Amino acid sequence: MKSYIMSLLGLCLLVTACKDKEYAIPEAKNELQNDCIKRTLGPNVAGLNIEFAYAIALPAAKGKIVSAQVEASIAGEATTYLEHRSYYTNGSGEDVGIQIGDPAVNEGNTTKVNFTKDTNAVTLRYFYVIPKSAQGKEVRFTFSAKSSNGETVSYAMGPYKISKMDMVLDLPVKNAEASFISVADMAVYTEKDVPANADKIDLVYLYRAITGISFNHALVSPGANAEYLPDITLPPGLNRVTKVRKTWNLRDFHLARLQYGIYIDDLDFEQLDMTGSPDYVINLKSEAGAWVETADGRYRAYIYMNKVEDSKKSATISMKRYTLK
Amino acid sequence: MGCRKEAPIDEDGLLITTRAECYVSNFELLGADFQTVRTKNAVIDTIACTVDVTVFYGTDLKHLYPQFTLVTDAKLDPKITGFTDFSDLANPRTYSVISGNRQVRKTYKVNVTVQPR
Repeated sequence: MKSYIMSLLGLCLLVTACKDKEYAIPEAKNELQNDCIKRTLGPNVAGLNIEFAYAIALPAAKGKIVSAQVEASIAGEATTYLEHRSYYTNGSGEDVGIQIGDPAVNEGNTTKVNFTKDTNAVTLRYFYVIPKSAQGKEVRFTFSAKSSNGETVSYAMGPYKISKMDMVLDLPVKNAEASFISVADMAVYTEKDVPANADKIDLVYLYRAITGISFNHALVSPGANAEYLPDITLPPGLNRVTKVRKTWNLRDFHLARLQYGIYIDDLDFEQLDMTGSPDYVINLKSEAGAWVETADGRYRAYIYMNKVEDSKKSATISMKRYTLK
Repeated sequence: MGCRKEAPIDEDGLLITTRAECYVSNFELLGADFQTVRTKNAVIDTIACTVDVTVFYGTDLKHLYPQFTLVTDAKLDPKITGFTDFSDLANPRTYSVISGNRQVRKTYKVNVTVQPR
């Protein structure tokens, strides 16, 4: 009997405990407010943007927004800007900008937009163009806004690590013409330019259609076995033995600019082990790639084949490079 | 369930069964890019215990990933733990297949030939 009462009591407790509080519509804050999100993903590579969306609002009765600014701990490239337009999406799905102020002005580390239209709520995009001077460092941002009633708000973002990688996109290479690739210079040279840069040529691009085997598009070290450099007389002084390893399905988002959300980051280069890798790769297809380590051990790189064209004996390559020492 | 006699397991924690069959049924060889390097299907001789595989011209033989398909319940020794060096063509690598009852052991020789130019 006792236990029966106890359990009944427990049941009563449970029932009362389940009662919900009455819902109330949250009250909006009666002041200037802000919020911020980072929109870009992946490693922060010099030359690329870090994009933010900065939202500011205050009740109409309190006044209007006067200015918005962003202060970066390291000044961005001159092309860094804070959008001076507010966007909405129209019926056709296009983003239409409405100007709310004068174009942004960069002064030192600060990018500022002064509002010229009566504005109570706005979301501004901020594009920080990563400078080379920030490589290997961390960068922080302070977003702030001022309203006509004298209120100010600010929002801190970061720190964000800036990658030590360098990147170059869409270098055209062509068999027997622009075929000498330098990782140190991140450039492609023709035979005419080779004598001046002979000590910096790491790979030779070539295309061969050989019956019975799949040679096709290849990246071969100048110092590799001559069997992999068929019918080529290299200019004098080319002898570097570069380590290369063929890769497939590694379509880095920055290099390939395709739909795949894969990013090669500093860590990949730091942990890359190229011991025992060959000094040539042959039969490279479109969207394939190759890890590279230069003979002097100074650089590691990833070369991506954006496009290969058998008929023209040419290809378009992009490269991410990491300096080891 | 608790009353059932415990099934015997081997040193790898794998079930020892009654199967005595012991052979390789398929063989694959992948390159550093995890794509096949075979020019055609590998020829597996279960009597002579050999796997003959021809790889593309220019294949990096030091960095190959072998994959064996074995008869049910059998296991391989040594185990495949990653990329393997097959560059010593004169001394082919050997792998042993151990039957499901762990009583039969057959050693296969993997002969790699590079496609000639």
